[in-house]
Amino acid sequence: MAPIELDVSPAQVERIEAVARFARERLSPGARERDARGEFSRALWDEAARFGLAGLPIPETWGGSGLDAVETMQVVETLGRTCEDGGLVFSLCAHMFASAVPIWRSKDAKQQGLYLADIAAGSLLCANGTTEPEAGSDIYAMKATARRVGDDYILDGTKCFITNAPVADLFLIYAKTDPSAGFLGISAFLLPRATAGLRVVPEHHKSGLRTSPWGTIYLEDCKVPVTARMGPEGAGAALFGESMIWERCCLFAYYVGAMERSLRRCIEYARDRKQFGKPIGKNQSIANRIVDMKIRLETCRLLLYRAGELHRQGRRCEDAVAMCKLWISECAVASGLDAIQIFGGTGVVTDAGVDALLRDAVPAQVFSGTSEMQRMIIARTLGVG
Amino acid sequence: MKILVPCKRVPNPDLKLKVANGSVDLAGTTWQVNPFDEYAVEAALRLTEKGKGGERVGEVVVVSIGPKDTSAQLKQLLAMGANRAILVAGDDSALDSDLVARILRAVVAAEKPDLVITGKQAVDGDDNQVGQILAASLGWPQATFLASILLAADGKSATVTREVDAGVEERRVRLPAIMTVDLRIIGKKAVRNEALAPATAEWEDTQRLASLKGIMAAKKKELREITVESLGVAGGILVKTLRHEAPPARKAGVKVASVEELVAKLHNEAKVI
Repeated sequence: MAPIELDVSPAQVERIEAVARFARERLSPGARERDARGEFSRALWDEAARFGLAGLPIPETWGGSGLDAVETMQVVETLGRTCEDGGLVFSLCAHMFASAVPIWRSKDAKQQGLYLADIAAGSLLCANGTTEPEAGSDIYAMKATARRVGDDYILDGTKCFITNAPVADLFLIYAKTDPSAGFLGISAFLLPRATAGLRVVPEHHKSGLRTSPWGTIYLEDCKVPVTARMGPEGAGAALFGESMIWERCCLFAYYVGAMERSLRRCIEYARDRKQFGKPIGKNQSIANRIVDMKIRLETCRLLLYRAGELHRQGRRCEDAVAMCKLWISECAVASGLDAIQIFGGTGVVTDAGVDALLRDAVPAQVFSGTSEMQRMIIARTLGVG
Repeated sequence: MKILVPCKRVPNPDLKLKVANGSVDLAGTTWQVNPFDEYAVEAALRLTEKGKGGERVGEVVVVSIGPKDTSAQLKQLLAMGANRAILVAGDDSALDSDLVARILRAVVAAEKPDLVITGKQAVDGDDNQVGQILAASLGWPQATFLASILLAADGKSATVTREVDAGVEERRVRLPAIMTVDLRIIGKKAVRNEALAPATAEWEDTQRLASLKGIMAAKKKELREITVESLGVAGGILVKTLRHEAPPARKAGVKVASVEELVAKLHNEAKVI
């Protein structure tokens, strides 16, 4: 059994520093204004993609960086520390982990040849359609169908809360090819935006991750050739499951970095802000909040990189990933509340950006599998539940 | 076109300087490429870009003088796009502008570049001398504080502009030459090689940063470490630093109770109105 490595190599430091500088100088300026407007910037997406942030785990053969789970986490955590535009990072992560990863892992050479290089370069922006109005946590109850008719499939269904849908060029759609076969009855399809019968309706604004657009996808008599299917029939659920493992560990690295950014700000504020003639940090009630934030940050980081290391080593990691996702999202909410309390009135002024951690963290308890579902996974591995 | 870009590493200018026992305490500081030198690399890269084939035409060689870990800054410049790097082993405290210029003169003799571009000054010492001394010792023309460079199609001269007190001065300079660049050199259309880029060519309105792909590509590029002795340059510096002192701490200000009191103080005590 290889040891769990927590030290960062010089080559990784070089990468982390380059990402930090890029995020600070190019992605963060104007983030609060974009957040207030709920604005996704394709120009900024393109710049981030040119830097290499759209294809972190994708092998170099297709123009990605070929990073393993731990290295990917390091980059995403760095974005959390240095990029104030949480929505943009969320969009990049959804593109990479929920779309690019399953296409890469499908080993479907034809689809990879068609799309993967452009996806890793970010010139093809992806959205994955899984969730439905009546299939959230109970994802295998999805109603979307793909009926085989000769050399075509006819897709019908509705996919909701789809990150990137209003701006995506390519959609990875999961639909049932055999509704009686459960897990093995789901197949994956790749549909370019212009596909007839595919319609996107943007959703309303969100409370958090506001610069990441989302929408509903309607599939109405949507006829696609058999060649639009990715991998064999029935392989969809397994591909989706693998992509969720990547997403649950690597995307949540963002929140670890964001918690550190918030903690630093709170420490600085607690030292500078004076009430009753002394810095507020001298009050134990404030200092203890900061201590709790620090402990949450460090435990999250340990769980994160432990999950990443197990994933990198190809070891069983479903429960480690579930614990990491659950703990990080819940700690980020708790620390987000602490940050607001430490800053007092300023904490709820949107322009100040103190409330961003909380607003961006609340949805993290829901997406990529709710906290309740993560507890179910952990309970199952413990032989209960 | 072969362009040599001398670059210096400087302490992070955003960190607070610690002065103790007559010298600046640099232990624990982080280092970065002098911003003006980074702009010089950007200018050099642009002079080799946007030709018909899309490939870089020419070579950009970066050179720095410093301790072994200066390789981190050189790797960053290779990741930006420079073709290769030379690190001359040296100790920051045993260098002055004269010695740096003499070392660079030897590097120029070995590399035979068509053009040397560097920052107008380093943001640590702010001496603003290396480019000028190097030009004088080589007997090359110098064009300093440049805001733009238009390299002639024949590669034999360049039209440059420099911001001076009275406005913008335009000059033509024969190559080989020494150029030092100012902040505006990273403007969208500030630098162009007529032999490669069309008049409509534009770059980003800033210097490029090392990308993840650039970092991977840099691993395959040459970073050669050499010594001052191998260049045949004798050590020894002319400038002797006696001591560093922190500026005196500012005295606390005075709170005034009213606008009238403020006006009175400005008039009677400060005598500025």
